[in-house]
Amino acid sequence: MRFIISSSALLKQLSGISGVIASNPIVPILENFLFEVKETTLIITASDMQTSMITEMDVESKKGGSICVPAKILIETLKNLPEQPLTFTIDEETYSIEISSDRGKYKLSGENATDFPKAPVIKGGDALEMPSDILLRAINMTLFAASNDELRPAMTGVFLNMTDTNVTFVATDGHRLVRYRRVDIASDANTSILIPKKALTLLKSSLPSDNTLVKLEFNTSNAYFSFNNTKMICRLLDERFPDYENAIPVNNPSKLAIDRSEFLNSLKITSIYANKTTHQVRLKMAGSELQISAEDIDFSNEANERLSCDFTGDDMEIGFNAKFLLEVLNTMDARNITVNLSAPNRAGVINPSEQLKNEDLLMLVMPVMLNSYA
Amino acid sequence: MTQRTILHMDLDSFFVSVERLKNPALIGKPLIIGGTSGRGVVASCSYETRKFGVHSAMPSRLAKRLCPEAIFISGDMESYSKYSNKVTEIINDQSPTYEKASVDEFYVDLTGMDRFFGCYKWATELRQKITKETGLPISMAVAVNKLVSKMGTSEAKPNGQREIPAGEEKPFIAPLSVKKIPMVGEKTSSQLFSMGVKTIRTLREIPPKYLEAEFGKNGLVLWNKANAIDNSPVEPYHEQKSLSTERTFHEDTTDIVFLKSKLVSLTEALAFELRELQKLTACVTVKIRYSDFNTLTMQKHLPYTASDPLLIQTVKDLFNKLYDKRMLIRMIGVRFSHLVNGSPQINLFEDTQEMVSLCQAMDWIKNRHGTELIQRAIGAKDILTPKLSLINYGLKRTIKSTY
Repeated sequence: MRFIISSSALLKQLSGISGVIASNPIVPILENFLFEVKETTLIITASDMQTSMITEMDVESKKGGSICVPAKILIETLKNLPEQPLTFTIDEETYSIEISSDRGKYKLSGENATDFPKAPVIKGGDALEMPSDILLRAINMTLFAASNDELRPAMTGVFLNMTDTNVTFVATDGHRLVRYRRVDIASDANTSILIPKKALTLLKSSLPSDNTLVKLEFNTSNAYFSFNNTKMICRLLDERFPDYENAIPVNNPSKLAIDRSEFLNSLKITSIYANKTTHQVRLKMAGSELQISAEDIDFSNEANERLSCDFTGDDMEIGFNAKFLLEVLNTMDARNITVNLSAPNRAGVINPSEQLKNEDLLMLVMPVMLNSYA
Repeated sequence: MTQRTILHMDLDSFFVSVERLKNPALIGKPLIIGGTSGRGVVASCSYETRKFGVHSAMPSRLAKRLCPEAIFISGDMESYSKYSNKVTEIINDQSPTYEKASVDEFYVDLTGMDRFFGCYKWATELRQKITKETGLPISMAVAVNKLVSKMGTSEAKPNGQREIPAGEEKPFIAPLSVKKIPMVGEKTSSQLFSMGVKTIRTLREIPPKYLEAEFGKNGLVLWNKANAIDNSPVEPYHEQKSLSTERTFHEDTTDIVFLKSKLVSLTEALAFELRELQKLTACVTVKIRYSDFNTLTMQKHLPYTASDPLLIQTVKDLFNKLYDKRMLIRMIGVRFSHLVNGSPQINLFEDTQEMVSLCQAMDWIKNRHGTELIQRAIGAKDILTPKLSLINYGLKRTIKSTY
C-alpha cells in the first residue's frame, strides 16, 4: 500500500476529526486513525466507540489497502512539516509505515486495520436535512445548558424533537433550560432523539458555517450526520428526557424588558463581588429600575448597580446564580430581551424581545430560594 | 517573630457561678450542673464537689455517688449565654483583638501594649472590671502564647491570676503533669504514663522523632507543646466550618422506626438552622454510637444545598448504609460541613412549585413562632413516645465554633 498526499491537506482533514480520539481510550487501538485507500480515495476514521468521524480525500495511489496509524505521532509530524507532498509506504505484513518528505524519512509502526472497531451502519432509519449554519446555531444556542452530571445521563445531551411543522432542540441540567425551535425545518418522522454532548461538541467544531446541507439519518440507537466529505456516527442516549414542556411556566405576569448587553455588563461586574462558590446575585425590580446586588460576607465584598429597564408587574426581588444568567445572556444575540417572571421561587423565562425569522428561542433560569423574611 | 503577649481568661466553674448569681442561697453549697437523668453527664461543678473527685464530663450517676449531698441543676443554656455575652461585651469594649474560644474562655492579644500600660497591670484591671460588673469570678494568665497562658490560667484557678514572663515559660510548665497540656486527654495521657512519662519536663527531653513514631503527626505537635511552642494567632473571627447536632438516648435502642424519625427531626432542625444562617452544605455526615461506645461515621458529598427533602434523604441513605449490625444504639448525630454562604438553588424538575412554597411557608412559621410548632410528622414521633424522650438537649447540641 502506497499513496502520495499533500501534508497540509491531510493535516486539515485530520484536525477536523482528531477530536474524537479520547486521551485515554478504552482500547489502545483507538489511539489510531484508520487509513483505508480505495482506488484514489483515502478514507480516514477516528473513533471512541461511542462516536466515530469519517472523512474522505483524494490521493495519488496505485495500490489500495488499509492500516491503523498512531494519531499523536502523525499529527505532530504534520504540524512540523512545511507544505509538501508526502509519500506513505505501508508494509501490510509488518504494519510498518514509512513517510517520505523532501527532507527525509520517518518510520513508525502501525496496527492491523482489521482490529479497528467498525462503525455501525444505519439501515431503514429516518432522515432529516438542514443547512449547516442553522444546525450550528442550534448547537451553539443549546449545548452550554446540557448537564455534565454522569449520574443523570438523560440531561447530558441535546434533545431533538421533530414534527411535521417544526424541529425543536432542547437542553437542560435542571437549573437552566434552552428550547430552540425552527419552523422552517420539518420531518414527517414525528419522533425524537437524544444526542450526546460530546458528539455535538465535535460537530460544532467541524460543521462549515455556510448553508451546506447536513443530512441526518437515525434509528433508535445511532445517528449519522453527513456533510461535504465528512461523516459522523454517534450512539444516541437511551434515556427518557424530562418533560420540559410542562415544566416551563406559561403564566408570567411580570415582564422585564432590558438591553441585553447592559444587563450582561452589570451582571459581570456585580458577580465579581458575589460568593465565589455560589455566585449568587439579587435582582430587585421596582418601577422602571432594576437593581442588581451581590455580596460575599466572608470577604466583606459588596456590589450594587442600578439599571433602567421597562418593568411591568408587582415589585419583586429574586435571586439567581449569576453564572447561569451570564451564560444565557452571553449565548443570546438579540439586542433586547424580555425576562418573564411570576414569583421569586419560580423560573425566569428569557426571550429575545423580537424573535428572528423562522425561529423561536426560549431560555429559562431557575432562581435560588431567598428567604422572604430575612 | 516579635515577642507576643497573650492574655487568657477563663470564667471559674462558669455555669455554677451563674446559678449562684441567680440564687445566692446556693453559695457555699456543693452544686453540680448537668443532665440529671440516668445518662446525663456533669457539665460544670462547684469547687466544693471537686474535693470529692467530681469533675466535668463525668456521668452524673457517678457524681451523685461520690458526692450525695450535692445539689443537681439541669442547667439553663439561655441564661449562660446571656452572661457569657455580657463578659464578651466588656472585653470587646476594652481590648484590641480578642478571641472567644468558648462560652467561658477568651484570649486577648496584648502585643505592643506594654509601652503604654504594662500588660499585666492592664489585664488585672480588665479582670477586676469583669468581676465588678458581672459578679462572675474569672481567672487569667499572661504569657507569650496561647498555650502557656491557658496552662497558666488553670494553675491560677480558682479566682486567681498569674504572669509568666517571657523566657520563663519552659521552667513554668516543666514540673506540671502531661495531663495539663491542652488536647492531651485520657487516652494520650495513659499512653504517656505507660511510657513512664509523667511530667512535661520528661516529655520535653524525648527526641521528637520517637514521639512521631509513637503518636504519628500528633507526636510533633505534642513535643512542640511540651517545649511551650505555640504560634497560633488570636483569631477574632471564626469561620463556621460545620453545623452538627446529636442525641444520646435514655435507653439504648434498636427501634429502627424511632431512630429514623429521630434522624429526620434532627436533620430538619439542623437544615432550618443552616437556612437561617443563609448557608449551604456540600457534605453530610451521619454518626452512630453503639452501646459499647464504638462510634462510626459516614459522609457523603453532594452539590451545595439546604433543601429539607434532599438532606433528609441523604441522611436516611447514609444511616441505612452505616447501620448494618443489629446492635443497640446509644447516640446518633448529623453534621453538615463544607459550608458556604448562599441560598438553595431551585431545580426545574425535582422541586415542584407546591414543595418549594411549602418549605418556605414552614420556614416562615419556624422563624416567626418557633421551631417546635411545625415539623414533619415522622420526626414528631417522640412526642407520642415519652418513654424515649431525650436528654441533654441544650448541652449536647454543639456548634463547632461560633461567630
